[in-house]
Amino acid sequence: MPRLLSRFVVAIALSLTFAVAQAGTVAVLTPYLASATTKIMVDGVEEALTNLGHDVNVIDTAGDVGALDSRIQDVVLQGVDAIVLSANPELVPAAIQTASDAGVPVFGLDAGSLVGLQADVTSNNYAMAAQTATYLVDALEGEGRVVMLVHPPYAPVQKRGAIARAIFDNTPDIEVVDEIFVEVPGPLENARNAVEAVLTANPEAGSIAGIWAAWDEPALGALQAIESLGRQDEGIAIVGLDAIDPAREAIAGGGNFKATVAQDFAGIAQTVANLVDDALSGEDVERRTVYVPASLVTQGDLR
Amino acid sequence: MIRRYGTLIGLVGIVVVFSVLRPDTFMTVGNWLNITQQVSILAVVAFASTVVMVTGAFDLSVGTMASLAGMVAAASMQAGLGIGVAIALALAVAAAGGAVNGLLVAYLRIVPFVATLGTLTMFGGLALMVSDGSTIFGRAIPQAFGAFGRGGLPLGTVDGRAVILPNLTIVALIVLVLVWVLLEQTGYGRRLYAVGGNAVAARLAGVRTRLVMLGAFVVSGLGAGIGGLMLTSRLASANPTQGDGLMLNAIAAVFLGVTMSDEGVPRVLGTLVGVLILGVLANGLTQLQIDTYVQQVLTGAIVVGAVAVGSVRRRAS
Repeated sequence: MPRLLSRFVVAIALSLTFAVAQAGTVAVLTPYLASATTKIMVDGVEEALTNLGHDVNVIDTAGDVGALDSRIQDVVLQGVDAIVLSANPELVPAAIQTASDAGVPVFGLDAGSLVGLQADVTSNNYAMAAQTATYLVDALEGEGRVVMLVHPPYAPVQKRGAIARAIFDNTPDIEVVDEIFVEVPGPLENARNAVEAVLTANPEAGSIAGIWAAWDEPALGALQAIESLGRQDEGIAIVGLDAIDPAREAIAGGGNFKATVAQDFAGIAQTVANLVDDALSGEDVERRTVYVPASLVTQGDLR
Repeated sequence: MIRRYGTLIGLVGIVVVFSVLRPDTFMTVGNWLNITQQVSILAVVAFASTVVMVTGAFDLSVGTMASLAGMVAAASMQAGLGIGVAIALALAVAAAGGAVNGLLVAYLRIVPFVATLGTLTMFGGLALMVSDGSTIFGRAIPQAFGAFGRGGLPLGTVDGRAVILPNLTIVALIVLVLVWVLLEQTGYGRRLYAVGGNAVAARLAGVRTRLVMLGAFVVSGLGAGIGGLMLTSRLASANPTQGDGLMLNAIAAVFLGVTMSDEGVPRVLGTLVGVLILGVLANGLTQLQIDTYVQQVLTGAIVVGAVAVGSVRRRAS
């Protein structure tokens, strides 16, 4: 009997040790769930947090930042233990303040700013854009007319465009013919139409040497435009960013799509989940931006 | 009673359901003040849209106009202009945009759907042009401007927490009173309803229908502009597309309100109920942790359902 009792005590002690990581309710909010990459990261965080024993609620506001502000307030009032935000916190400062007043820590998932957050886990958009822009400059041997496909309203993508532009402007024989604003939703379709128009306006072979896209979907649109106009043999080089599956396939196919950058989405998601778990277990989480490295993916890598 | 107030009863029903399912967090003073602040921007845009819809027309451009007005104000403040000047400029742009809509519809006789679809795109493009597509935020927005959207009138304390009537709620209430007086208590309001009822008869009766329409679109533009300014203040930032989503919700709110009118015409108090239904649904469904995709389906189904019930009972009566 005493033996049984001692076993029982040991069992309880053990289970208590493992129960230190408190299960909590975590709200994951974003206006960008329709974006392929945000979806991958949000799904990753949801899975990782669920595996760690937490209750996860994913909220998408379909591009509406005003609604994001409202939904953050709602989950704070609802009494969640932590918030994961995949949007720039500086767009919703009042709601972040509400969370802070209520003592709810907010973690950035590729948020792009640390303002008001406990931590932000992201890829370095400046560094990634520099990787693709320099790759394109090198592939063109520093010479040629380049079209940029950009979307400045989304801050991380705006950063990419700014750094690529700086690199092109810093290369004397690269001329940026056009910086095309790609409308979202429908980036692939919109980019295809825009690039078709640019190519039609520049009919001579070689008049457009390269296309720099701020992310993969417009890069794929540019590829479709080149193919639909039958200009795939001019050697127009396309680079994208994010390494989504269709982009990898296009690059592996050895055509005009030359390179992209693979963000470590799984790594980002797991890192955020671990930080949230640490915070909910009462550990101190250092207040900082965590940059998860990203790697260039070229035709050589996929061959 | 049930015939006229079916939609209102629907709102009460939704509130009861959420109160039962989330007794600790939904039916609290804090959450209700929170809801009034959340719906305030949509409310202002929808109240002003009601004025145009009374005439039987639409204004599809209110969402992008809200974005444009917010961008104009933010860019003005970024350029160092005072808050007052920035607000005045934004409202001037909004009124001018509304006047363009009015001229297109009333004087060039372009169908409102087509005219405002065109200006929707134009205003959206202009909003992007203001900042070359970038979001204006951070120090570019003066502290005082952002503080307004966060602050409010202290009402006292409940359970040791300060209870604040949000400034944005106060703005929405003021606009509600102004639009109610305009529509229900003035000769201009009666002429608006006359044009909506039968424009030819109104003209024969001596109503200057074109001028009446023009005025309605200016009001709608101004409402969108005020909504855009409120959003920019609340978010302390201006994104060239941040108001775009307001248009469909504003029209949905007006239609929900129409179901409460025996004559099937828009009334601003009906629009208020419509706005509250949309706001309470969004707030409550979030607190219930309903999947956001399911939330969209539910919200759409409830709007269609309410309007369908309204139209069936009108035919029956």
